[in-house]
Amino acid sequence: MALIYELTPAIVFLPLASFALALFFGRWMPKKGAVAGILATAGALGLSVVTLGWLLLSGEVHDQTWYTLVDAEMGVDLAFGILIDQLSAAMLVIVSLIAFLVHVFSLGYMNDEGEPGLPRYYAGLGLFTASMLAFVMADNLFMAFVFFELVGLCSYLLIGHWFTEDAPPSAAKKAFLVTRFGDYFFLVGVVGVLVTFGTAGFAGSEGFPALAESALAGETSVNTFGLSTEGWFSVLGLLVLGGVLGKSAQFPFHTWLPDAMEGPTPVSALIHAATMVAAGVYLVARMYGFYALLPTVLGIIAFVGGFTALFAATMAVVKNEIKQVLAYSTISQYGYMMLALGAGGYVAAFFHLTTHAIFKALLFLGAGSVIIAMHHEEDMWEMGGLKSEMRTTYLTFLAGSLALAGIFPFSGFWSKDEVLFETLVHALGGSPLLFGAYAMGITAVFLTGFYTIRMVMLTFHGDPRSETAEDPHSVGWNVKFPLSVLGVLAVVAGALNPVPIEMLTGAEVDFLHDYLYATPEALLTGAEHYSSLSSYGSGAIAGGEIGTMLVNAGLSFGLAVAGAGLAFGLYRGGSPARHTERLGRVQTLLMHNYYQDEYQVWLAEGFTVRLAAAADTFDQGVIDGTVNAVSSVSRSAGARIRQIQSGVVTNYAALVVLSLLALLVVFAILGGWF
Amino acid sequence: MVTMANEWLLLSPAAAFVLAALALFVIDAFAPEDADGGLLAAVAAVGGIAALSASGVLLLSGVAADGVELFGGQLVVDGMSLLFTFIFGSVTALVSVASVDYIRELPHKAEYYLLVTLAATGMSLLASANSLAVVFVALELSSLPSYALVAYLKRNRGSVEGALKYFLVGALSSGIMVYGISLVYAATGSLLLSDVASALGGASADYPGVLGVGLLMIVGGLAFKTASVPFHFWAPDAYEGAPAPVAAFLSSASKAAGFVVAFRVLVVGFPIGTIAGTLDWVLLFQVLAVVTMTLGNFAAATQENVKRMLAYSSIGHAGYALIGLAALTNAGGPGAEATVLGASMLHLFVYGFMNTGAFLFVALVEHWELGRTFEDYNGLGREAPVACVAMTVFVFSLAGLPVGGGFLSKYFLFAGAVGAGVPWLALVGAVNSALSLYYYSRVVKAMWIEPPAEPLGIERYPTALYAAVLTAAVVTVLLLPGLVVFDGIAFEAAASLF
Repeated sequence: MALIYELTPAIVFLPLASFALALFFGRWMPKKGAVAGILATAGALGLSVVTLGWLLLSGEVHDQTWYTLVDAEMGVDLAFGILIDQLSAAMLVIVSLIAFLVHVFSLGYMNDEGEPGLPRYYAGLGLFTASMLAFVMADNLFMAFVFFELVGLCSYLLIGHWFTEDAPPSAAKKAFLVTRFGDYFFLVGVVGVLVTFGTAGFAGSEGFPALAESALAGETSVNTFGLSTEGWFSVLGLLVLGGVLGKSAQFPFHTWLPDAMEGPTPVSALIHAATMVAAGVYLVARMYGFYALLPTVLGIIAFVGGFTALFAATMAVVKNEIKQVLAYSTISQYGYMMLALGAGGYVAAFFHLTTHAIFKALLFLGAGSVIIAMHHEEDMWEMGGLKSEMRTTYLTFLAGSLALAGIFPFSGFWSKDEVLFETLVHALGGSPLLFGAYAMGITAVFLTGFYTIRMVMLTFHGDPRSETAEDPHSVGWNVKFPLSVLGVLAVVAGALNPVPIEMLTGAEVDFLHDYLYATPEALLTGAEHYSSLSSYGSGAIAGGEIGTMLVNAGLSFGLAVAGAGLAFGLYRGGSPARHTERLGRVQTLLMHNYYQDEYQVWLAEGFTVRLAAAADTFDQGVIDGTVNAVSSVSRSAGARIRQIQSGVVTNYAALVVLSLLALLVVFAILGGWF
Repeated sequence: MVTMANEWLLLSPAAAFVLAALALFVIDAFAPEDADGGLLAAVAAVGGIAALSASGVLLLSGVAADGVELFGGQLVVDGMSLLFTFIFGSVTALVSVASVDYIRELPHKAEYYLLVTLAATGMSLLASANSLAVVFVALELSSLPSYALVAYLKRNRGSVEGALKYFLVGALSSGIMVYGISLVYAATGSLLLSDVASALGGASADYPGVLGVGLLMIVGGLAFKTASVPFHFWAPDAYEGAPAPVAAFLSSASKAAGFVVAFRVLVVGFPIGTIAGTLDWVLLFQVLAVVTMTLGNFAAATQENVKRMLAYSSIGHAGYALIGLAALTNAGGPGAEATVLGASMLHLFVYGFMNTGAFLFVALVEHWELGRTFEDYNGLGREAPVACVAMTVFVFSLAGLPVGGGFLSKYFLFAGAVGAGVPWLALVGAVNSALSLYYYSRVVKAMWIEPPAEPLGIERYPTALYAAVLTAAVVTVLLLPGLVVFDGIAFEAAASLF
């Protein structure tokens, strides 16, 4: 085992140590724990990069159990272990990079602004980072679930950081409850997987995806509880998917995410880019060997993803607060990732996860910078004209926006294009249902271009629309440094996997593709293995693969430019009008988020509470009533029995003799004595 | 081959009681004014310990596994008799040790211990009695000292009144029983249980009425000894009036003695297969078991006096133990019958410790003169935490919670009833157990949760009484994992009866 793999647990333990230090000693520490957090995440980032480097150079993967809770001989295998393969190594770098930058940014956003409760804040960030890193390197579903839950807990703590105000605690509770609702299904799914396979391991021929594969091939048999093998596995897949949809804010569990904007902006960046929301999509990618066996579930994933991408994009169009726009864009972009996973584009999904992590962290930190400058004003209609005052923020934010909008040659273009390309190819290859998902995805491209550029125009262009916008607060190095790093990455990250270039020129530039295909076959977690499992065929239009690619790229680029151009045209000038008001009732509908919150509140208050009240009435009336009746009958019977014991010995003698006689008569008749 | 010397050796547990009694006679004759009674208690306790050791050794050595008949079959020493002698020995030892503090200030200590050991002698003979004549004599030998023991506090009205009621109901019951024995003798021509059994077939055909009435009356006499409804009337008054250690002795050892003789007389002397047509005693015991446990538990639930509550709970436990006879329907095969009967023995075995301990705790509280109601126990947990932990163990074990052996023995009993084909009986038992948790918890609540009305002012912590209570508590807890040592013995002892 390579030395670096001996050190892998430190990637988790460093942030965990910063959590403990900040929690207990934060008050006396430099910058209230920020320095410890920065050092810890820098260390984790360094180790992750070295791990990734080692993996690239040597190709040696790592799969080891660290601690066994319940041995497999007991029927189920509950263990904690580390799985470092191409997927998790790359994800570790992404998570630790974003976490590191968010810690640095927090110096500017939290410390410099003199926010209260800083030790608690940095403790939360440390635990959040540690949980996510442990989740990423988990080698089995059980361990993944444990840290998945910890991630949820930390997001609750951090979203509710300003707990003395009204909105943040409410938003934190909402995030916790909605994701918990999904996790409930996930938990049932974990138990189901354990019961079915006896193990929850992800990798190798002993892992549950491999066992599922052999069971589906009819080589082995498992307990399927009366369903067909594929039917039961689909049920398991959908149960786990419940947790994924909750965490990754997919329809209909997306409602918590916009409200989660009540948390500090660096936390939003962390949640959206690398931790909480990414956890769901990552989980699907992690156990893709299982999902790839189940075409029905993949179809559902693709459809939910495509629908969410479009659905969230429409709502982002009308939002007036900068973080709200970003929140809906996050939902929409994770929809693309789900679409890619469901459509068999494993590499595309991870590519988009990577680029999105970069540009969305960038956008949130940029928005945080704007919010600092605007003295915590978030309404875009109060901004305007900030570009001249905030040069670094503007340029980097613009780079992130163009990447989000999918404008060539920014990173988002390449990854989104690949997502849509994979979907189109597989749709053409005999899966016509994917056309629907594709159509929703491609329509969302237009909307994405529109709302992104609208946000940029309203925030940075035109004339200042308020006094604070005329004289914004300046921001320090600790804000500009993370923005610069991410800004550069947002521009160039597309070079990771520019498939169209490879197709056109034949140059071997699809690095991410090759990287994910390099996973050793024995682990059964590589893209090559997944593509062998896939049931999707490939088709083409316009004269072959290149033609298809060009059609798709042209369509997506054209739509993105059209959306961006429309927004630019509408909102340019010194004082743009509120054009979305022209949508009339549609705008009202969109502003109210399709009344999703209302129906969910109704589900909670109108339905669940009433059902619970009925159950309570039943419990109080019937159950407790029965119990109370039994006890009062018992007591009164007891009191009567007490009266038999009169204390008069002649009564006793009489009762003894009479009862003996009674028995005598009864048994004489039964026995036929006379 | 069992030689003559070995035969006498088999009676060594009973002999230990007899020798202790004789030694007490001698000591009383030479030193009638022994001040603190320590020596007397020690002799009685040594007698009890010797009896339990001897029976334990004999049990483990297996010499009497198949049953050895003595005196022409009048006595039999087998696994069951030894197991019950073990119970009598341990209860006698515990009660003797505890009594040192309880009767320290009272006169006639030698008579007290003498009566205890004589009653224990009668009980150990009851466990071995193999003929109806010996059954009756041994029953009287254990009962007569008991009447006197209940009246030991002879200046206390409750004590004397309880004893008198006990004696009067006892005399009536003895009369019923001895009349029943005479009718059985008339019908079968024998008093020896094995001969009675072999003559049953003919007797059932010729004199069903005589035989049936006789057996029913014998069952009545046994029900008196076990304090089963409707022969239970003496029990609450006698237990409440008696000195608490005597109540412990009667409710544990004396009750067990009633059961051991009931098991032997009915299973050996009146096999249900032969006599079912005349008197279906299984049905009779089903009636008795249900009525006894229900009445005992319901009455216990409404008591305000802890000692009286324990008295009724002791009746309830007699109802559980009766399941051992009530489940012999032959529906589950001989293995299931041995299991449920063995479980009943095990329950009496564990009961011997936990119930004795609970009554000795009451003795402790009486020693402190705190009163007898639940309210008087308020706040005791703070003043005497160790003893209260022990009492908590006793009552929860009695209720069947897994803090002591009571959980396992009750579990065996109910599971055995299900296995023997009478699940409804197990259900009734379980419902009653649930009810019993209510009144047992009241003691725990009073001790640990309720604040005392006024400071309790406990000054002395009597060593011997504490030692007895704690020993009983430790054994009760140890029997939870340790019951495996005895369950095999009990099941084999039960199986050898059939």
